[in-house]
Amino acid sequence: MITDRAVCVGILIAFALLVSILYVVFGQLTVKKLRKNPKTKDALGLEYVSGWDIINVAQALALPKDWSKKLEQGSLSFMHAKASLLLENTNKFDRILGFLFYWLLIFTGFCSVLLVFLNAIGVFVK
Amino acid sequence: MSEILLCNQSLSPQNFQLQCGIEIDQISAFSCLKPTIMAANTPYVIGNDQSGASRSILAQLSPAPVAKELTNLSLSYGGDNIVALAEITEKLKEYNIGLMGASTSVYANRLGGFAGSVKDYQAALMEYRQAIVSKSPMKAAMKQKAQVAFEKMQSQFRNELKMVTAQVKARRGIPLTNVERATNIAESSRNVAKLNVTSQVQANNLVKFTKYAKVLGNGLAVIDFGSRAGNIHNSYQGGDNWERELFVESSSFALSAITATTVVNAGGAALSFLVMTTPIGWVGLVVGGLAVAGVAAYSSVAINQVVKEDAGGIYDSIIKVVGL
Repeated sequence: MITDRAVCVGILIAFALLVSILYVVFGQLTVKKLRKNPKTKDALGLEYVSGWDIINVAQALALPKDWSKKLEQGSLSFMHAKASLLLENTNKFDRILGFLFYWLLIFTGFCSVLLVFLNAIGVFVK
Repeated sequence: MSEILLCNQSLSPQNFQLQCGIEIDQISAFSCLKPTIMAANTPYVIGNDQSGASRSILAQLSPAPVAKELTNLSLSYGGDNIVALAEITEKLKEYNIGLMGASTSVYANRLGGFAGSVKDYQAALMEYRQAIVSKSPMKAAMKQKAQVAFEKMQSQFRNELKMVTAQVKARRGIPLTNVERATNIAESSRNVAKLNVTSQVQANNLVKFTKYAKVLGNGLAVIDFGSRAGNIHNSYQGGDNWERELFVESSSFALSAITATTVVNAGGAALSFLVMTTPIGWVGLVVGGLAVAGVAAYSSVAINQVVKEDAGGIYDSIIKVVGL
């Protein structure tokens, strides 16, 4: 017996699979290149744990330009990757890949939070 | 609900009545419906409850190594404690998994801190018990120490505690929510312990708990958290459907990781904007950071649980559709 919640979870699992693949692909194709580039290797933002810079870079490439410029100027700029520098050193493919990965990640994450929230307020209780 | 009695030394019918206040023909063991003595390290159920649920709870708790460990643990922690601790250990394992999934230092610190504060509280209670047993003059100081550890845990980890104790419904409160109860249990010393087991899931948690927890010389239990890999390996060894287990574990891991990552990432960006556009200052920043970490912790643990509940069924329907 498949419940409504199970359908949602199933869709989320499919998205999670896509996000995981994109994470590895983006990490290998784009971020590896930026880590080796002496101009950008110190501009990848705060790395909480190994691999977090992949998320920072994706965020810098995916957010609208004026947003990421604002983040660069703020007092917490050390946390974020330097978007303007990264945009100069990436090609169109990198940016599209980053955009896809980042928004798919955020979408999946927030849908999960939403699911948890709906579950907690009892939407799925029959 | 089944009331389970455990004892660390064999009791004659007279002794049994003296200690427990009930007749020996009111209890029964799994292998013996009409016991003439109460044997050591054997679980007995109270009352003439021969329902399937009671029998299967007894069956789960009866194997010798489980029963012995459980008796020792119940006596040193108190019956209610042990049931609560078993549940909490299950939850903590989920936390640990969430911790792997989240992979952020903020979050890892917080969860590490939670597990640590529970352990500190446990350790303080055990010291208090030791002090009582040895009639040490430090008794009052030890009680004070347990109270301090309790308050610290309460004030720092209110949300996490609410989550782990939500399912434990003890009438008088459990030691994690009530320090009075905990110190009372530590004060009384008996050689018979009573457990109130409400379900087979609880019994199963108890069995698992006896495997993680080892009683050390000073009465402190060491809790060894299992891992996802362990779960899969167990079901492989048990001849179960390990591919299914693999699907459940990896999908719940992926989603709890993604959830925590999203919250931390988006939360970080939101804080950056907040700092620029409002005069919140560093106190606000710390509070905001904690809020982000808290939401990340809560939601990644919760999604992990939801996915674990549903992923098995999803796996089954995929297999059916593919026609394997």
